Amino acid sequence: MIKTIAKPAERKQTACGECRSTCQSACKTSCTVGNQSCERITREQKIERK
Amino acid sequence: MRHIFTYRDKHYIYDVGSGSLHECDERTARLLQGEKIEISDEECKATLEEIEGLRAQGLLDASETQERPIKSNEVKALCLHVSHDCNLRCKYCFADEGAYHSAREVMSLATAKAAIDFLLKNSGKRRVLEVDFFGGEPLMNLGVVKETVAYAKAEGAKLGKKFLFTTTTNALLLDDETIRFFNEEMENVVLSLDGRKEVHDAVRKTVNGKGSFDAVLPHIQKFVQMRGDKSYYVRGTFTAKNLDFSRDVLFLADCGFENISLEPVVTDIEELAIKEEHLPAIEAEYEKLCDAYIAREAAGKGFLFFHFQIDLEGGPCLAKRVSACGAGNEYFSVVPSGDIYPCHQFAGDKEFKMGNVFEGTLDETIRRRFAENSLFTRKKCGDCFAKYICSGGCSANNYHYAGDLNEPYPITCAMMKKRIECAMHVLAERKSRKK
Repeated sequence: MIKTIAKPAERKQTACGECRSTCQSACKTSCTVGNQSCERITREQKIERK
Repeated sequence: MRHIFTYRDKHYIYDVGSGSLHECDERTARLLQGEKIEISDEECKATLEEIEGLRAQGLLDASETQERPIKSNEVKALCLHVSHDCNLRCKYCFADEGAYHSAREVMSLATAKAAIDFLLKNSGKRRVLEVDFFGGEPLMNLGVVKETVAYAKAEGAKLGKKFLFTTTTNALLLDDETIRFFNEEMENVVLSLDGRKEVHDAVRKTVNGKGSFDAVLPHIQKFVQMRGDKSYYVRGTFTAKNLDFSRDVLFLADCGFENISLEPVVTDIEELAIKEEHLPAIEAEYEKLCDAYIAREAAGKGFLFFHFQIDLEGGPCLAKRVSACGAGNEYFSVVPSGDIYPCHQFAGDKEFKMGNVFEGTLDETIRRRFAENSLFTRKKCGDCFAKYICSGGCSANNYHYAGDLNEPYPITCAMMKKRIECAMHVLAERKSRKK
């Protein structure tokens, strides 16, 4: 039996370049790419919440 | 590509092409891994139907992206080394205990302003810019940090641009006034604390050789108390001396910290360095931490461990995932002299000096060398399940390990892969609880 846990949502924007820099050096803990959210969508959601 | 893995008694299929995560029973996992098992016609048919159903939805065996990496000439972020000096003498410091193999010095306000001008001038159409105050210890030059923030905000406003500021500090000089300043101006603050007192004090010493734990812990606790819901990370390092590091993460959580990161040391010091022989113990420790993490979350006492977060549903676009970190192209470090380097890990390495903020130019040969990096230039990443999550890792680590920006550092890779599996398990358990 196979159960789907997560699948990517359909994206409205791609390659817009709005994302934050993604330093992966251990000394900075900025982010690993996969830990990040899409900056643009996050920002739009914040605006929607307001 | 499928990555089939087992965590305790749970079996997962991560479909690399689509980025989907599925859970399956043991027999299905064994079948999918090509193992010959006794199976009835009925079971075989049912399993094949499930697989075909997922394939039809694009959730299994999905083709992998040929999306082009995001590459522009816009500079979006600067790491400002406001202090090449430090009030601690941490044994494992990659930055030569703050001095970066050079004279101990701090950045002048004129240099910091020139760096901000450089960023604004080269930021193109980008509206949100990032500045990270870094060291050494940035609070040893707090006046310049404050004046730089004010200058950047004023100059940015003239051009309709906004700055996000971050500071990374050892917290030794952190007082109430600085905390208030941070809360007003810093989007994120990273505070260094390695965990248990004996672990922290063994490596993070003052200039007099004493452990710094007792001095910094109350400062960090006060900071977190005053921080409210704004971003911060209490960030530590583990070494070969504390391979039982899950205890340090849980200790930090017990101190009341909700956002925690603990990173493997990068050092050549024999007694501290993480070596291949340590990997089995480290992987087991991540699992131990993962179990405790899930148990605490289920009991309503959860915290956030940086590496156990994963956003499979709403993460960055594929173009971002195949782009490398941006160092040397859209992100740079500026040292007290105003010299520009691809990132803080290259600071002081003359081979990688790219220019100076007072001249305002960049070495385009070095820039191209970094700009051309992507997942597609990292050949060894091609058959790795983690590639769209880690994006090929840290260029500096790669370079310092193999002399090649595109040659992944295998020890980091192994730890990354284990953390990703743990993060996927955390996600599955969280979803299962919600149901």
